[in-house]
Amino acid sequence: MTTAIDIRGVTKIYNPGSNQPVKALDNVSLTINDNEFFTLLGPSGCGKTTLLRLIAGFEQVSGGEIMLFGEEIENLEPSQRPVNTVFQHYALFPHMTVAANVAFGLERLRQPKTEIEATVERVLTLVKMKHLGDRPPSQLSGGQQQRVALARALAPSPKVLLLDEPLSALDLKLRQAMREELKQLQKETGITFVFVTHDQEEALAMSDRIAVMSDGEVQQIGGPTDIYEHPVNRFVADFIGDTNFLDGEIVDFNDDLVTCRIGSSSMFEAENSGGHKVGDQVTLFLRPEKISLSAPDAASGSATRPGKVANLVYLGNQAAYTVDMGDGVTLTAQARPREDGNLPFAIGDPLAVGFSSRALRVLPQ
Amino acid sequence: MSNWLPQSAAGKRWLGLAPSYFVIGIFMLVPMIIMAVFSFLEPNPYGGVKPVGSLAAYVKLFFEYDLEDNLVFNPGYINIIFRSFQLSFGATLLCLVFGFPVAYYITLQPENRRNFYIYLVTIPFWTNLLIRTFAWIIILGRGGVIETPLLAAGIIDDSLRMMYTDGAIAIGLTYSYLPLMVLPIYASLEKLDFRLLEAASDLYANRLEVMTKVVIPLCKPGIIAGCILVFIPCLGAFIAPNLLGGGKKLMLGSLVQFQFASARNWPFGAALSMLLLSAVVIMLIFYARAAKKRAAMEGD
Amino acid sequence: MIEQTQKASSPRARKKMLPVGHYRGLGGWTVFFFVFLYLPIVVLIFYSFNANRMVMNWGGFGFDWYLKAFQNEDIQKAVWNSLIVATIATIFATAIATIGALVLARGGNFRGKTISLGLITLPLMVPEIVTAVAVLIFFSAIGLKLGLGNVIIAHITFCIPFAFMPIRARLEGMDTSLEQAARDLYASEWETFRYITVPLLMPGIVAGAMLSFVISMDDFIITLMVGGAGSTTLPVYIYSMIRRGLTPEINAVSTLLLLVSIAIVTAYWVVSRKSEADTVH
Repeated sequence: MTTAIDIRGVTKIYNPGSNQPVKALDNVSLTINDNEFFTLLGPSGCGKTTLLRLIAGFEQVSGGEIMLFGEEIENLEPSQRPVNTVFQHYALFPHMTVAANVAFGLERLRQPKTEIEATVERVLTLVKMKHLGDRPPSQLSGGQQQRVALARALAPSPKVLLLDEPLSALDLKLRQAMREELKQLQKETGITFVFVTHDQEEALAMSDRIAVMSDGEVQQIGGPTDIYEHPVNRFVADFIGDTNFLDGEIVDFNDDLVTCRIGSSSMFEAENSGGHKVGDQVTLFLRPEKISLSAPDAASGSATRPGKVANLVYLGNQAAYTVDMGDGVTLTAQARPREDGNLPFAIGDPLAVGFSSRALRVLPQ
Repeated sequence: MSNWLPQSAAGKRWLGLAPSYFVIGIFMLVPMIIMAVFSFLEPNPYGGVKPVGSLAAYVKLFFEYDLEDNLVFNPGYINIIFRSFQLSFGATLLCLVFGFPVAYYITLQPENRRNFYIYLVTIPFWTNLLIRTFAWIIILGRGGVIETPLLAAGIIDDSLRMMYTDGAIAIGLTYSYLPLMVLPIYASLEKLDFRLLEAASDLYANRLEVMTKVVIPLCKPGIIAGCILVFIPCLGAFIAPNLLGGGKKLMLGSLVQFQFASARNWPFGAALSMLLLSAVVIMLIFYARAAKKRAAMEGD
Repeated sequence: MIEQTQKASSPRARKKMLPVGHYRGLGGWTVFFFVFLYLPIVVLIFYSFNANRMVMNWGGFGFDWYLKAFQNEDIQKAVWNSLIVATIATIFATAIATIGALVLARGGNFRGKTISLGLITLPLMVPEIVTAVAVLIFFSAIGLKLGLGNVIIAHITFCIPFAFMPIRARLEGMDTSLEQAARDLYASEWETFRYITVPLLMPGIVAGAMLSFVISMDDFIITLMVGGAGSTTLPVYIYSMIRRGLTPEINAVSTLLLLVSIAIVTAYWVVSRKSEADTVH
């Protein structure tokens, strides 16, 4: 596998030497493979956009280096780097038609006119915008502008396409449709995509690999299931999806399982990820969708615990339940409405709460 | 509110606008119409006009009567008009070349510093033009600020004779109206989305192309507005040609003033003013057209 | 592209690159620009302290010419005329501009709005010399001979757009929901205007008045043409002094006039910055 981008110990400090230096990136190292859909995921201010801008060349690194297909690119202007960017708010040139926007990069590369025309047509067809080539961007909808921005960045056939939260300005339906299209486009073109987003769903849906970032540091790199099922720390577990955290102390363990005391005396068993000993303070995490809720009488023998509905939030296709497990422990769980549309449990109802010890994991400290 | 005031929205509206209409209508619009009429009358040798219709004022722009009372072509006034356009054009160009980078530089600054720079640009604009132009006499004049040290250092051994030249007038005009170039360009640059520059550079545009393909086309309205705002007052300028050109290098503005102050040919002065006014109207129409075209393109 | 990459990659030294959109030399150019813009002002102020009789020959530092200027009765008369004209013109122009701006900014869209706007800003678009000629012809045609009154009328006319601009800008920047909130809280139309619109508009009115005052104080050509003997304002007097020959007295008077303008414009700047900061967005 070829490495497309190699980021080695990159640090970025804004306003160095001023009285308010801001460390946007702190010794970040990661590699992005060729033909990969790679996502930088994190909350705003985590440094993901800064990293993208460093690759594009809009900012200079304060330390470390960035290699593009084995070449140091630090001393290249953005116009000299074989990467193109899809900007967050598209940054379409308002004084040019759609076709002229798409042709812009090709013209700067001094490609022959006939070739440019052919490429513009091909790329606009690819993003289904061929019929609007003569329009100015101001007459396009948000989704259409998005497609033009994509076409414009793809037209010069970059080695790497950088996408800075390109879907964030679209409404929900369009955003979901564009996810699939983007993924499809990446497969068709074989171009390496580096995608920046703060939307974890988007990241999980599209990426081959994800780097979760926070406070200028990479927290975890891995495939979507990896990141969702095996977060390496509380930040990642919390940022991706909904999670129950249970803080406690290990009281016993064997090869398979550890036993933790949560609250004053509740015992929970969790998968042993190794390296634990009795007396360790640990955090267990449990995804709400792994918890089953049933009425106490219906629960047939299997390992369930008693609980009580403390609160519920109706969400249409499901309801989020806050379950009081006693001993100061509460869990968030989900249940689907019944076929008649009514919710299965109401506030105050007693519950039988079931989950497997396999679903409970110890977060590494 | 009192009862005698009009109660309808339209009534209140016109009541509010009435004073503006009255003052500007009576003391600006009507005078300009009268001026147009005067340009078609015969001059009274003691100032004012005789109520006799005549095209003499406009004929005088091109012709004069020779000793035998024949009309012969006289390029004198045409030359002055042509020079006025030339000098105004030159000064406008100088303002643009000088002012654009400054407007651009100010746009790059953080916001509070930007406001301060704009304040610095506007200050001379609000101070007395006559005085500021007069100061150039001290700078350019014989034994002035520029010559004295050069003479003392032996770099030159005679006066540079900078005063009373077209160059001096051009400097004076450029100096007079420079802020009028910087401000509208800054206003349009300020609205410029700098991400577009990054987008251009990302799409392989070098620094020069970023400027010529993105920045300049997008702030064209500001550039055109600046050029018009500088060109119009240059064309009618009186102070710079009078003080720095010494009254010998006439421009349209000083020619007009001369007709009223000394030559006592009011119709001719009015005709020259009409000429000036039509140049302004043509430019404003041109500007309105460009603005309309642009609005259609950018959809706002 | 790749060739370029290889070429540039051989020396590992990192060079400082200008961010996109920045260009070398802009700062220096701007410094030069401001030197050009302020050189005459600085020179003028400097030479006003010249003790020598000749404007150009430096004869040591002194306040002599200021004293002389203060004692000059013609100058006193001209200053007095200037102040009278500027004050009256400012009051009328600001009042007229304020109600005009209220209608144009708050009166919704109506037929004749564009034309009204064009008419009010007309004095800005017409070259000064043309205005001067037109007004001169007009006054002589109707035989109006009010002396300083003629000058004042002309000044009111061309000050209106200068007062109008900041007031209208202020009105358009104002949040109309504030007025709606007042109406919602049972204020009558008049109370809303009195307690909400006017206080919020005040910085704009003050700014407009200050600009009118400065413009009127500085006007030269229109006053020169329209004003007769006895209605000489300060700039017209300075012009006649320059024509008679250069004396440092001119510098002293000019410096004072400059400083007044700069002080007023600075006050305007401070007020408008403050009002900008106060505006709720």
